[in-house]
Amino acid sequence: MTPGSDKLDRILDGAGAPDPVPPALQERIAAAILPGLRPVRPIPSAGAMVLGLELLVGAVGIAAAFLFGMYGIAKMSGAQSAAILAAIAFFGAVAANQTVASMIPGTRQIVRPGALIFQICLVLIGIFALSFTGYATDDFVRQGVPCLRAGLLVAVPAGAGAWLILHRGYAVDPVSAGLAAGTLAGMAGVLMLELHCPILRAVHVMVWHVAVVPLSALAGALLAKCFTSRG
Amino acid sequence: MQPDPDLEHLMAAYQKGDTAAAAALIERVSPQLHRFFLWQMTSRKDADDLLQDTWMRIHQARHTHRPGEPVLPWLYAIARHVRVDHYRKTRRRASREQQLSALPEAPSPAGGRPGSGPDVEALLAELPESQREVISMLKVAGMSLEEVARATRSSVGSVKQKAHRAYEKLRTRLRDDARV
Repeated sequence: MTPGSDKLDRILDGAGAPDPVPPALQERIAAAILPGLRPVRPIPSAGAMVLGLELLVGAVGIAAAFLFGMYGIAKMSGAQSAAILAAIAFFGAVAANQTVASMIPGTRQIVRPGALIFQICLVLIGIFALSFTGYATDDFVRQGVPCLRAGLLVAVPAGAGAWLILHRGYAVDPVSAGLAAGTLAGMAGVLMLELHCPILRAVHVMVWHVAVVPLSALAGALLAKCFTSRG
Repeated sequence: MQPDPDLEHLMAAYQKGDTAAAAALIERVSPQLHRFFLWQMTSRKDADDLLQDTWMRIHQARHTHRPGEPVLPWLYAIARHVRVDHYRKTRRRASREQQLSALPEAPSPAGGRPGSGPDVEALLAELPESQREVISMLKVAGMSLEEVARATRSSVGSVKQKAHRAYEKLRTRLRDDARV
């Protein structure tokens, strides 16, 4: 312990006793809050909301794939399906956790939303590169755009459902919350595409399927920004 | 992390609509929050406004505190965001008025703060905003590293690193002052 440390501790510890708040200000705050104070029901536990979001993403992704036809999963081998679905389930759970954390102030955050999107893209691209072959770009855009569109379309009900589950939350940082919710909704789109899309060419799934996650996240963040600037 | 049972009790009663508990919570936490804003180099008038705004948001979001969870990270997460919002609005206004020199970093923190100690604000003014925030949560609110990490939505490691760097800077500054 150096002399500088002693002095620093003394200064900071001495400053720990806060100044009294001006009584008029305190009265103003009390007058704004206390009259008509009503009981409120605390939001459900974070665990319950995370579980709800995971079930929602799974249900939306699987229901949409049933609707469009389960051609993709039928063409994949057992190992390919297991690796891809396990990755989607894992990142779906992390994204659900992240979304709930962004709606409850002071909740522990496992990973930053931007970093999560990057990790999801990186891992999915890695798994697809190992699982599939084929880097020919014939009809690359013509086949890819419908997949991207369908994935984003499926993300919409997933995002709306997530909002219903989380609407009683309070986002201290709405843009981050939108980014997290968009990422989660995008996972429903990816799940549907993996179950449905019969095109198992590596370059196709690595670009058009994975792109659903960052685009859906971006849409979530932009929506949140629009609502915040209006409200 | 050791949650404050009194604060948790007051918060739970506040959620149940207990006016006395709400009044006690306001009285108990407001001085800490007020000092938190003052340590972020805002003027006293701005600190008053921020405190009032923070309580409005706390009131609006009171149902999002889960019984059994620590109260301080929840409160400070809201307070912190009120300050960030205020900073952004001030910056936008300032850039619109082309008065860039009047950004919130600039106001002198020293004037008119009775009892806050002569050296603290001058010392803290040397620190980047994120380090100042961590130091004020640790020292004014007496929060643990884990609680600060929750309030700032970062990891315990990142909070430790910021606190360590802040202490190093402040020690160096004090040593330099002692030599002069």
